[in-house]
Amino acid sequence: MKSVYKVVLAVLAVAGFFFAVQPAVAHHSGAEFMDQVKEITGTIKEFQFKNPHTWIQVVVENPRGEKEEWSVEWGAPNSLARQGYRPSTFPAGAKVVMRIHPMRSGAPAGGFVAAKFPDGKTVGKWE
Amino acid sequence: MIANKTQKCLALGAGLLFVAVLSYGQKPALPEFNKLPDWSGVWQMMGGTVFDRATQTGQGGSTTHGVRIHPPYNAEWEAIYQKNLALRDHDRLPDVITNCGVPVGFPRIMNLPDVYEFVIRPEEFWILTENGPNVMRIYTDGRAVLAPEERWGTYTGDSAGHWEGDTLVFQTVALKGSRDGDSILDRTGAVLSDAAQATTRMRRINDTTIEAQMVIEDAKAFTKPWTVTKQFRRLPTGTRVYDYGCAENNRNPVDAATGRTLTLGPDGKPLEDKEKD
Repeated sequence: MKSVYKVVLAVLAVAGFFFAVQPAVAHHSGAEFMDQVKEITGTIKEFQFKNPHTWIQVVVENPRGEKEEWSVEWGAPNSLARQGYRPSTFPAGAKVVMRIHPMRSGAPAGGFVAAKFPDGKTVGKWE
Repeated sequence: MIANKTQKCLALGAGLLFVAVLSYGQKPALPEFNKLPDWSGVWQMMGGTVFDRATQTGQGGSTTHGVRIHPPYNAEWEAIYQKNLALRDHDRLPDVITNCGVPVGFPRIMNLPDVYEFVIRPEEFWILTENGPNVMRIYTDGRAVLAPEERWGTYTGDSAGHWEGDTLVFQTVALKGSRDGDSILDRTGAVLSDAAQATTRMRRINDTTIEAQMVIEDAKAFTKPWTVTKQFRRLPTGTRVYDYGCAENNRNPVDAATGRTLTLGPDGKPLEDKEKD
């Protein structure tokens, strides 16, 4: 029984590796994003769980005290779904802290890295 | 006695004639379905989308500066590749699939992210890719590829093959290559000409791996044949393949004027146009 358990663990580990190496941005190059990580805090407006890539719309208060909508691009919905994510992963109205690779242009957008909800639950590679 | 021999000869001749009439015009027998290999399940290409990792130089992925592959290009086509590499380095070489339009074609269909299904039937073999989605058909019913005078270049071309034991061997011709500027092999900008053709050998090398070895010839672009091997890993049983409507919410169209890939905001306007804080 123990050996069966080990085999199952090994299979899951291999499967996890291959899901993990799935490129986050398969549909275009991703050259528009910087390597550095920026943190934004706001409220989820919408999670566009659609092809070819998912987008998380987050309303953030900018340094001038104005509300600004950020667009955060994540992976393809299909590969995310195979990793267990769903449209409900980012419910509208939820408060969130999000780490992103910001756009080189300075536009309010970026590539998704990780997110943390007020209850401590995280999505992506937070640490 | 002589009459008896004559009768036997006539009977034999009639029998042979009967068999010949029956088999005239018939195709070779198809392989039995239950004797064909089992490639069911969902598969994923191993490694990144650099088309030929065996000849890759430079560290990183296909969009990383300094990364390239080494097809056996002649001087003219090496110069074309160098131009594409320079465009890539300036983020001005759009991936032709980014606009959610044309198929990726062959051989790039062997170089896609997301997942694959390989469907074996006695008369035909299908490659189904979630990304795109893309379909490639390989006839295995005994027909040959289209004769040269019947060909015109298309993205996936025309393919026919046969089974050698558990190995599928097929030839692909009638490819359009980069003739119309809408087909690449990977995001380094490697391309083929419309003279390209290939012989592919696919087999399951173990329980979890299918290997496709392509020998690509290109009379216009190459100095010698180019062998590229891709491998596909079987994903856990029960893995699903999902709908891929590429144009459903494509917020990264290509700017036709500059070749730059844009990022659209939720209002459909390019985010790049917004002022920095």
